[in-house]
Amino acid sequence: MSIVAKVIAQSDRANRFLSSAELTQLQDFFNNGSLRISASQKLSENEQKIVDEGSKRFWSQCPNTPSNSGNPQKTALCQRDQGWYIRLVSYCVLAGNAKPLEDIGLDGMRDMYVSLGVPLANLKMAMRNLKEVAMGILSSEEGALAAPYFDQLIRAF
Amino acid sequence: MQDTITAAINPADEKGNYLTGPELDKLKQYFQSGTSRVKAATQIGASAASIISETVAKSLLYGDITCPGGNMYPTRRYAACLRDLTYFLRYSTYAMLAADASILDERLLNGLKDTYLSLGVPIEPTIQAVQAMKEVVTQRIGAEAGQEMDIYLDHIIAGLS
Repeated sequence: MSIVAKVIAQSDRANRFLSSAELTQLQDFFNNGSLRISASQKLSENEQKIVDEGSKRFWSQCPNTPSNSGNPQKTALCQRDQGWYIRLVSYCVLAGNAKPLEDIGLDGMRDMYVSLGVPLANLKMAMRNLKEVAMGILSSEEGALAAPYFDQLIRAF
Repeated sequence: MQDTITAAINPADEKGNYLTGPELDKLKQYFQSGTSRVKAATQIGASAASIISETVAKSLLYGDITCPGGNMYPTRRYAACLRDLTYFLRYSTYAMLAADASILDERLLNGLKDTYLSLGVPIEPTIQAVQAMKEVVTQRIGAEAGQEMDIYLDHIIAGLS
């Protein structure tokens, strides 16, 4: 769900046209539309780089972790998931709303990783590194649009 | 409900893809059109009651429908008609902002024709009223924004036809 769908749904529940605060919110969202596009393009083009560089930094801080266990299959799966989270952040940047991350990647996430035996604390550290690398690739304006979703992701772990 | 952004994200996620190429171009266009959508929604929301009054004056007020035996008589039914026309205007404004007609189907049109038929609400004058609403809205918000609203008001007409 995007910010557009969100304000429409809340107006509809109250049986009214959009309030001026909601209209301003949408105007702000549309105003940085081209930044949202360029941020999502950079995340898409640099996903591999963000994951590789993020993993290096992560392993230096936390060497004893499934993705660094010497089992290439495990490493590949962990890094694949990390790439997915970058993709979900790119959806959020375009939607102006955290719902894509919440609905696709956070709902049930803890249960899944606990069942897989992946320590959540390690994942949290890995996500923090992904954010750091991504922030170095995005411009500061683009980064400001993406950072809240990375932060929410980190908090969730 | 679906909107232009969600409609692009969901199928991309099904394939595990980022949004690229044509999908991203579509969003770019939508973002660029955002200012005029917000402006139109602001104007419509601020003058909804007078848009409805003028719509009724243009289409229904001077016909038999407001006289005894007509479906806008007595006052209770007149008020219900005003309420429904306001719904039409509000939901088509939502759809225009979202650049997606799905909210009209989900929240307004689903079962509406059957409801009207069972209540004896005549369909033909209802459609005339929406046609009149298109003209009134275009006068208020200008030709270009009016064309965008026409898409969704026409969707209501198609759903009632």
